[in-house]
Amino acid sequence: MKDAAVSPAPAGSTSPRFVYDLGVLGVDLFVSGRELALVFVRTLYFLVRGRRDRGAVVRQMHAIGVESLFFVSITMGFIGMIFVYQSGVQLRRVIPDFSQLGATYLELLVRDLAASIGALILATRVGAGIAAEIGSMVVTEQVDALRMCAADPIDFLIVPRFAASLVMCTALILVAGAVAFATGALTADLAFDVPLRTFCSAALIGWPHVVTGLTKCLAYGAAIPVVSGYCGLSTFGGSEGVGWATTRAVVNSSLAIIVLDAVISTGSLMIFGTG
Amino acid sequence: MPSPVAPLAAAADEPGALEGAAGAAGAAFLDMARTVGAAALLFVQILRRLAAIPPVVDYPELRRNMHKMTVKSLPIVVVTALFTGAITVIQAAPVVKRFGAEGLLGWGAGFATLREVAPLLTALMISGRVGANNTAELGTMVVTEQIDALRALAIDPVGFLVLPRFLAIVATLLLMTLYADFLALLGAAFAGYGLLQIEPQSFMNGLTGGLLNFGDVAGGLLKSVAFGLIIALWSCHFGMSTTGGAPGVGRSVKAAVVASAAGVFIVDYLVSFVIG
Repeated sequence: MKDAAVSPAPAGSTSPRFVYDLGVLGVDLFVSGRELALVFVRTLYFLVRGRRDRGAVVRQMHAIGVESLFFVSITMGFIGMIFVYQSGVQLRRVIPDFSQLGATYLELLVRDLAASIGALILATRVGAGIAAEIGSMVVTEQVDALRMCAADPIDFLIVPRFAASLVMCTALILVAGAVAFATGALTADLAFDVPLRTFCSAALIGWPHVVTGLTKCLAYGAAIPVVSGYCGLSTFGGSEGVGWATTRAVVNSSLAIIVLDAVISTGSLMIFGTG
Repeated sequence: MPSPVAPLAAAADEPGALEGAAGAAGAAFLDMARTVGAAALLFVQILRRLAAIPPVVDYPELRRNMHKMTVKSLPIVVVTALFTGAITVIQAAPVVKRFGAEGLLGWGAGFATLREVAPLLTALMISGRVGANNTAELGTMVVTEQIDALRALAIDPVGFLVLPRFLAIVATLLLMTLYADFLALLGAAFAGYGLLQIEPQSFMNGLTGGLLNFGDVAGGLLKSVAFGLIIALWSCHFGMSTTGGAPGVGRSVKAAVVASAAGVFIVDYLVSFVIG
């Protein structure tokens, strides 16, 4: 990336190249992390104190929510089928008792699977979209034009996407989770002869699971636009730059989701004892 | 005869709600069919060059791409695999505690990781890192007319650019999945020790206790090859069919990632059923 920009290579130094590389990597990570945190804080500030543009938020809700609905439902539907089929095959090897399959599956779906897999799918669609759009604006100097008009790009570009993503990610994950449960129930019925009535059981669901799941939805919904928006705004250099920005947005949003998942799951395991 | 045409044209200008929906659905379907058809044609071209004796591949380009794709995606694969392994254990923790099945944790984490989690998440990350990057690179070459320049020099762009990348992506995903299998199990063992106080030795016993066999590992690797084919094909197709400057490159990258993700999940389902 821009390793030479951080510090010049130590001329004639005897220290191994590896240590230098590691240092550059560390400084790079630190700088990116600080800038990302800054974007997040400013997004929150403008969300509360900035201008109110309902039209922009509604347009983004349409772009993020309605246009992703089909894609997310299809992929999560397949996930539901795969998941139930794989666990059924394994269960048959160990304890051939399918009465708890549905309840356990629903618990896992509510607690983690719907939110995390759904968000990973959304990160590709929504994250890439945000970064490609904002990145194109940067290389065609539209963002500079915004700055010239004393309009903060974060207020104008990221805040509507942030607000829209918070709402729509949660909504989409709820829909996607329902689709995944429905396809899972059908798979269990067709492949393992588990009656739908036995499968559809909420016996293992409690408040802690719902709270954990919703926390994850909100955290991912906040992380995707902030990370992708940051990647989009830091685009440099022509059409190649837009491609790189989009790539980085997808990778970094996915990494953020996985790290947040680990953090929230550990926290929930500590607090509620349920992961 | 302009008179019978005019009312039809007027009707086409202002379609009813039903006609509008049907028209949109039809257009979407045609668009999808066109995309799939173009990708299939590209695949046929790739296969023909691969089947030729000797294969029409630019070997230095293949080596360069292999290096770029594998070495540069190592960090994200390491982080993803370690964390997903840990998450698998965290998710299994309540069940393990409920049934007191500490000995089965290794088996549970092993089968989830080897059969599904590691191939799937590695594919998603490689699709984002390598596939999207490849689309951006090819797309930039298209919009800056470098592909036309190649054609003008009578150099075959498929053999010179597409086939090396195609092969490199498939190979990268297979290697990275193998690596992620190992790292995810390591992350799972650590998380089991840290959160549930399950000794690594008993985790290892659960893993090698006979409930898992080579078929589970091979199944996961077979899946990763199928994912690699899907990601490579979509990535190269959307890169080569880029139009319209810098925004076009962004659109192509997005389309490639979305198509790869959807394709990966659908193929996962099909392969899971076939290898059972």
